[in-house]
Amino acid sequence: MFSFISQTWAVIVMNVRSLPRRLWMSLAMVLANAVVVAILLAFLAMDKGFEVTLKGAGSDDVALFLRGGSAAELNSGLGRDQVNLIATAPGIASNANGPIISAELYVIVDGIKRSTKTEANLPLRGLELTGIEMRNGFQLQEGRMFTPGTNELVVGQGVLREFEGFEVGNTLRIGKSEWRIVGSFSTGGNVFESELWADLNVIQSVYNRGSSVQTVRAKLSESGQLDAINAYVENEPQLNVDVQTEKAYFAGQSKNLSYMAWFGKIISAVMALGALSGALNTMYTSVADRAKEIATLRTLGFSTGSAFLGTLVEAMVLAMAGGLVGAVCAYLLFDGLNASTLGGSFTQVVFSFQMSGDLIAQGMKMALVIGFVSGVFPAWRAARMPVLLAFR
Amino acid sequence: MNDFYLIYKNLTRKKLRLTLTVFSIFIAFTIFGAVSALKGSLDSGIEMSADNRLVTVNKINFTVSIPYAYVNKIRAMEGVKDVTHANWFGGYYQEPAVQIVSMAVDPTTYFDVYNELVVPDEQMQRWQSNQTGMLVGARLAKVYGWKVGDRVPISSNIFSQKTGGQTWDFTVDGIFDAEDAKVDTGYMVFHYKYFRETNSYGGDNVGWLVLTTTSSDLNEQVAKSIDEAFANSSAETETSTEKAFNKAFLEQIGNIGLIIFGVVFMAFFTILVVVGNTMVLAIRERTNEIAVLKTLGFTSARIFKMVLIESLLLAFIGGLLGLGAAKLIVAAMSDQLARFLPNIAVGTDVIIQALLYMALLGLITGIAPAINALRLNIVTAFSRG
Repeated sequence: MFSFISQTWAVIVMNVRSLPRRLWMSLAMVLANAVVVAILLAFLAMDKGFEVTLKGAGSDDVALFLRGGSAAELNSGLGRDQVNLIATAPGIASNANGPIISAELYVIVDGIKRSTKTEANLPLRGLELTGIEMRNGFQLQEGRMFTPGTNELVVGQGVLREFEGFEVGNTLRIGKSEWRIVGSFSTGGNVFESELWADLNVIQSVYNRGSSVQTVRAKLSESGQLDAINAYVENEPQLNVDVQTEKAYFAGQSKNLSYMAWFGKIISAVMALGALSGALNTMYTSVADRAKEIATLRTLGFSTGSAFLGTLVEAMVLAMAGGLVGAVCAYLLFDGLNASTLGGSFTQVVFSFQMSGDLIAQGMKMALVIGFVSGVFPAWRAARMPVLLAFR
Repeated sequence: MNDFYLIYKNLTRKKLRLTLTVFSIFIAFTIFGAVSALKGSLDSGIEMSADNRLVTVNKINFTVSIPYAYVNKIRAMEGVKDVTHANWFGGYYQEPAVQIVSMAVDPTTYFDVYNELVVPDEQMQRWQSNQTGMLVGARLAKVYGWKVGDRVPISSNIFSQKTGGQTWDFTVDGIFDAEDAKVDTGYMVFHYKYFRETNSYGGDNVGWLVLTTTSSDLNEQVAKSIDEAFANSSAETETSTEKAFNKAFLEQIGNIGLIIFGVVFMAFFTILVVVGNTMVLAIRERTNEIAVLKTLGFTSARIFKMVLIESLLLAFIGGLLGLGAAKLIVAAMSDQLARFLPNIAVGTDVIIQALLYMALLGLITGIAPAINALRLNIVTAFSRG
């Protein structure tokens, strides 16, 4: 047993040390693997970044009411009567001012993207201070909160980062009205940072919405517990709303870019086939190149197993090297890369690519599979090579 | 023994390597063809926009509506040929996830402005006189198998009926199509009047206006006079060419598109580099044989040509197979993708580009070894190996 291990080790060392002889072929294999892994990771990191940004926004302590069938905040609409009915629902926490609910209006305004200098949809959310308190992780970064009843707004960090002209202190013209930007806020990187916030009543009057709103958020008296509210909604014929936890709502929205992950997986799988055939070429060349050495070792009494493993390990080492190079490149190029795209409510979601350990592990797994498959067949050939033939 | 026989023998001397190399090239070009087709499909809205068509939206944002009265005011303006308007309906079929692009439009003018869309006269007349009818684009009709005369319920995720409920019943009065397959027909249109009279929001507002100018030279002038006419009103407008509007909309989807296609094309080129490397090495191995050929009296020019033809052949065999596979895949997928994307096909421009890259691959990988072969000194070649 010991001799098998030491034999194999000797073959591995020899193979690896003879790599410079096949420098270009070996580099090509490393490069092909690196590209496949980098591509896979780029797509996965995009999907992950988008998902985290949306999922991070949802709280289990908050119930979100939308008009029946509307599916997204933008499409929803609720009159004052609906809001009043929701306020009397059971299962909602209350304080000295009554039930803790936040009626919110969600309208779209234009912003100029820094990257393309073109107009893109930004959400302007009208809400009251109770609504702001419901956002976990809310922090004023700069300036102050808007004063209720005035044309003041605060701007999320994501908007500030990706769009022009939203610096604190600026004046913004939306339609006929002028708005002063008095502060900027963060909510820990989630989708709320892609929004502008202003006072609900002011937005209602500027947009001629009367007393109607789009959504109602309610603080639950018991986290995640919607049973009482569901029963109430079902038995109240005048109420036409869908209710879910805010967490569930954003979890649904976070699936919007999951087609990206699929696209990435398919593309990189197809590309892996291309890389695999390149790698097979490299490994067969390696075996042919070392034919005399292999034959010599076999004559000296080395086992076929050591010839097999030596070649297999060479392939795996090259593939791993490629995978690592790809992962490092993808990390340097894509991690934290800012992007924005249209989300479910037809407005821009600002997010950053996120490369995490489990994604890198997925990439390395792919590299290892390519390495194994590209090693095993040439290794088989190396092990079965007739000694006499090699010397000829 | 002619040159082609020699080239053939050289190509097939190591069948396994030949197969693997061709396969790599094949994969690279399959991806190139399929992804380019996808990109073309996404960009077709820009490519297909008419030069003299303008879009007028509310200056706040295109999702904010504008007063109906603007339609006639703009129609009276100089340089304006036809004007029509549309309202976004937010339609879905049976389940909210199955979204149907649906718009309430003016039945008398919509197809004047979008004159690339064709509808049989008799169907058009039936639709115009039937307020609860809809015209369905050919792509949409195909996805759901809708035929003229079908009754189809479409629900809205935005609007409610005055009588309650969010579902409207429509009759398919006709199917519109376009001669150019790149024009998108994945949506349906119905009467604005029906929409206005039955939805509970009320209000005489339209979503956006589309108009044609009498000449594309007047575009800027017309756009400016429209926006000036409504400046300082309660609904200011922003008018742009259809092309600019569609482009801006695509850019909303954002730089992720740029990143994706950038990454994929980078990968395509890397695969070519990797394969090219193998091809170069494969020829370099044969230094000795080339020396033998020279000794036998083959001229340098003849050998140069043979090496080059060999690498070109390899590039084109793999590349053409890949392009063919891309065409097959795209054709097979286009039915499944019809729900999400405008018509998708591997266009002539993609094919030309691909052929160009095949030629480049063949030339670049062939030229260095060919020049080496050309310059090869017989004596040094033999003494080396």
